[in-house]
Amino acid sequence: MGMTITEKIMARNSGRDSVVPGELVWTDINSVMTMDYLGKTCFDKFKSLGKKEVFDKNKVICVSDHLVPPPNQKFATMLNEWREVVKEHDIANFYDLGRQGIAHQIMVEQGHVLPGTISIGTDSHANTYGAVGAVGNAIGVTDAAVAMATGKAWFRIPQSVKFNITGKWQPWVMAKDLSLHIMGMMHWNGHLLYKALEFTGPAIESLSMAGRMTLCNMTVDLGAKNGIVAPDIVTERYLRNRTSDAWEMIVSDEDAEYDQVYNIDISDLGPTIAMPGKLDDTQPIEKLIGQKFNKAFVGTCTNGRLEDFAAMAEIMKGKQVHRDVNMILVPASQTVYLEALRAGYIETLVEAGAAVDTPSCAACAGIHTGVAGDGDIVLSAGNRNMTGRMGSKKAEIYLTSPSVVAASAIRGEITDPRTFDI
Amino acid sequence: MIRGTCWVADDYVMAYDIIIQEYWTSAIDPEDNSKWVMAGVKEEFNKENAFKDNGHTFIVAAHNFAGGGKSIEHVITGLMGAGIQAVFATSFARLQFRNAINYGLPFVTCDNIDKGCETGDELEYNPETGIIKNITKGTEFQSVPAAPFVAEVGEAGGLMNYVRDKIAKGETIE
Repeated sequence: MGMTITEKIMARNSGRDSVVPGELVWTDINSVMTMDYLGKTCFDKFKSLGKKEVFDKNKVICVSDHLVPPPNQKFATMLNEWREVVKEHDIANFYDLGRQGIAHQIMVEQGHVLPGTISIGTDSHANTYGAVGAVGNAIGVTDAAVAMATGKAWFRIPQSVKFNITGKWQPWVMAKDLSLHIMGMMHWNGHLLYKALEFTGPAIESLSMAGRMTLCNMTVDLGAKNGIVAPDIVTERYLRNRTSDAWEMIVSDEDAEYDQVYNIDISDLGPTIAMPGKLDDTQPIEKLIGQKFNKAFVGTCTNGRLEDFAAMAEIMKGKQVHRDVNMILVPASQTVYLEALRAGYIETLVEAGAAVDTPSCAACAGIHTGVAGDGDIVLSAGNRNMTGRMGSKKAEIYLTSPSVVAASAIRGEITDPRTFDI
Repeated sequence: MIRGTCWVADDYVMAYDIIIQEYWTSAIDPEDNSKWVMAGVKEEFNKENAFKDNGHTFIVAAHNFAGGGKSIEHVITGLMGAGIQAVFATSFARLQFRNAINYGLPFVTCDNIDKGCETGDELEYNPETGIIKNITKGTEFQSVPAAPFVAEVGEAGGLMNYVRDKIAKGETIE
């Protein structure tokens, strides 16, 4: 019997010829990622295991993203402790303020995730790594400490679910719309608990790496174990200048077994919006045209990439953000920031009246800059919209794609970018 | 055998409501994390030690307990610090299911358990057989027994102890 891509990756990294769903295995880990606010605990736990050196100084990736730059003394002190512990362990890959970015963006963009391997991170959106054909998995600080010491983590082999995506993408419709569409279809944390989601089909093959990252990123919010896109020519091109490590094209066998298979034709898929409070309460944009809001936010590990800035710049060029709207844009990394600057996107967006913040998780988790206050209605291209997520419990968050946020920010009300005069 | 009273939760108790935003950046410490555990789940628990002071041993929940995608371990240590010795639910979210295994706190999957218990009922759980008895109501439920690895980690008192022991003995992990 054949195996799915996730099963094959689990098998080869646990020294087995084959695995079956339900089996429990210890696998080799390619990279372990941890960030500023949990990192010190990881290292403290690691030390308590009785090891002096991490399993590989090049494979423990440390990133400052949730707390930088520190908006208060508490965060500044936490960052100082964090820097000390990273230095103490002589970690080769430390992305601190100045070289920072959101950890998941850094992991993929800097080539720390390789196709056919397994990487883990102490933040829930580590599922993003599936975009390059790897198994990316979110874990707690305990698993991170164990992996730092041993280079291994335990996994139960998940059942696989295939999403076969066909059809042609409409203009301004983005991977985020497909993510939200699947969220509405499958229900938030519902039927896909513990499953490995595999995205395949012509509409995925035509999707950029940025789009694949968005799609895999949000699989954690479906309750899934991981999301993955098989490596192809897009992956090869993307990784060419990012890693010199060798990797193999691992793909699903033709006779692999899936728990479920879903076929989605995206030809009719338009911009999609998740209503405040629940990710799976999604609506086509037509039902929300004219909805007012006062804050626009684009950034995060879901939608803070160059392609997202390109789409916004194209839509907003020569126009002005509506006077009733504050727009905050946060590139997902310093690299994205620099590329967007060089391409002229930042200039266009600043001219249009958008505020650009230093790369970080920003207001996404409600603990850093740009948080929502009482009565705010936020149109966000982030990943979560539950009550209180971005700050005040008296704020509402609509989730959508960067192109919808851009067109809407000009009008001051939810606007379909397909009908917007560009 | 573990015996004590239970608190019955609604569907979809979210991890970020068990430990609210203010405490995500706190240190991982059962005593400290337990003070505000469940603060976002019910208004009555949004007071220091409010959940803990009820003195329950078990939580009974329905679908997707501790979901919503937060990987922080404060959720598990908060419950443990509040005296919770096992959680029974029809399903669990994977991030916290994993964390619970790593801390040796039984997260036990059991069909229909949510419909057969009320807050305050006296329960008795046998980890070996997986049988959960509701003493108050005189009913019994068969839960899914822990996988051998999970039981082993539980006996060691969590993954840290399990791995520390292997490292000390020079044994490989496989």
